[in-house]
Amino acid sequence: MATVQVSEAEKVYILHGVRDDLRVDGRGCEDYRHMEIETDMVSNTDGSAKVTLGHTDVLVGVKAEMGKPRPMVPDEVHCCFAWKFEGRGGDELGMELSNTLYKVFNNRYSVDLKSLCISPGDHCWVLYVDVLLLQCDGNLFDAISVAIKAALFNTKIPKVHISEDEEGGKEIELSDDPYDCMRLNVENVPCIVTLCKVGHRHVVDATLQEKACSVASLIISVTHKGTVTCVRKVGGGSLDPESIFEMTETGKRVGKALHAPLMELLQEEESLGKKRQKVGFLG
Amino acid sequence: MPTDTKRVRGPEVSQSPSLFLCKNAVKKSTAANDARVDGRQRGQVDVRSVFVRCGLISQAKGSAYIEAGNTKLICCVYGPRETERKDETDMKSGRLITDMRFAPFSCRERGSWIQGSDEKDLSLMLLESLRPGVCLQKYPRSQIEVNVMVLENDGAVLAHAVTCASMALADAGIEMYDLVLGCSIRQEGATYLIDPTLLEENGYNLASGSRENLGSLTVAFLPSLNQISGLQSDGEMGEDTLTGDVRTCIEGCFKLYPVIQQALSKAVRRKAPPSES
Repeated sequence: MATVQVSEAEKVYILHGVRDDLRVDGRGCEDYRHMEIETDMVSNTDGSAKVTLGHTDVLVGVKAEMGKPRPMVPDEVHCCFAWKFEGRGGDELGMELSNTLYKVFNNRYSVDLKSLCISPGDHCWVLYVDVLLLQCDGNLFDAISVAIKAALFNTKIPKVHISEDEEGGKEIELSDDPYDCMRLNVENVPCIVTLCKVGHRHVVDATLQEKACSVASLIISVTHKGTVTCVRKVGGGSLDPESIFEMTETGKRVGKALHAPLMELLQEEESLGKKRQKVGFLG
Repeated sequence: MPTDTKRVRGPEVSQSPSLFLCKNAVKKSTAANDARVDGRQRGQVDVRSVFVRCGLISQAKGSAYIEAGNTKLICCVYGPRETERKDETDMKSGRLITDMRFAPFSCRERGSWIQGSDEKDLSLMLLESLRPGVCLQKYPRSQIEVNVMVLENDGAVLAHAVTCASMALADAGIEMYDLVLGCSIRQEGATYLIDPTLLEENGYNLASGSRENLGSLTVAFLPSLNQISGLQSDGEMGEDTLTGDVRTCIEGCFKLYPVIQQALSKAVRRKAPPSES
């Protein structure tokens, strides 16, 4: 992650503030920064979303293509995560991001993979989720997971119809109506919460300065029901088992509380339909 | 995937015969109360017996070999060496570089020699687990290389890699705060399987309970300092189950600790036998 240099005096200042539940920008330890979400920004994708969290900017595009399923699991589809940064470098970070995202979404229940099967063993939908990081100001995982959830909610997969012709070969027909499409059920898609250990307490949604003061963070992905799908410790320091338990509890609480307002917001945006004013990249 | 120009490659596309195996022959439903295939118990801290030996590879500064059930790993440590990149951060403390690879014949399906993305991810997890244990500030401007090679993958690979790597580091004489031990657990419904084999890791038992609580967890632990240096979990688990599993893994690490200590002291005695007088 891009790091800023923080002096010892600043570190002490941040540490003391966090100890009293007061961060540099006035938030509490469990508060997120101002988040803006907009979907359907890029017309060539099947679904897209842009999330701005403080100064972190993430754009996610989802494209659905037809492909062959993996040989071992003939009736499920697979998701591929790819990342790109603006500017040089960041290969390791990108790999960490895509591997963690893959683990988060790898279980059976996040995305209903069986609904994306076209014909078992032959064709299935392959969802390419491409994440473009426009600006990094700490807390990438959270912003990316919210953007992925919004983009998947926005994804419209065209309905295909398989018909057998006379020789027994399969013909794939796409319906003529561009609005005749299938939506994904994103109820169970988890959101990621990153908790940084600063001093003796932990903070949610750390800025780059706070991250420079912490030795270790815990990434926890939570579904709307409160089940934890992936936990990962990052950073070069070690954590006490008791801190990990506390952080897991906080992460679960914060993550669970994130889902309901997000779904409401997405559904509200969807219901506005044509009347919605698109802000785009210049807003 | 980058192409491998250094080796003579076989045909472009080939498949393992196990794909064509009859599904009925593979799936055997076992009830939740059954013992595990290798005789261990479910729901108890029953780690596989471990065979460890240090100092195998004479060319490396330190090395270790670990065998747990059928999982076999070997680790070499080179260093401290002068670091290649002169970053400002290297002036104050050393750098740890980890590399974890699977031999192509280690898993059921043949892997490739080129490092895939999950191997890179495992290397990163290994680095994060080992770093808190090593006194890197005693080696400024240096780098320590840790290379782990998995010879046979029968489950709990990351956990045993962490243990093996920290033994190799100790064998190399690198100063450490404490040994880092790893333990892996697989949660299936209401019971857990500690130190799972590959079949247990990948398969899931539909008979045992609902869709809740199905996942795996790997913990890297420093026993005498009581600190967790690495944690990774997968699958869907409730928070209490997660907490319980972390505690169980810590217990598993404590069970391993005396064996590792014994192996290390044997290795030290072999290298520098105590004087007779």
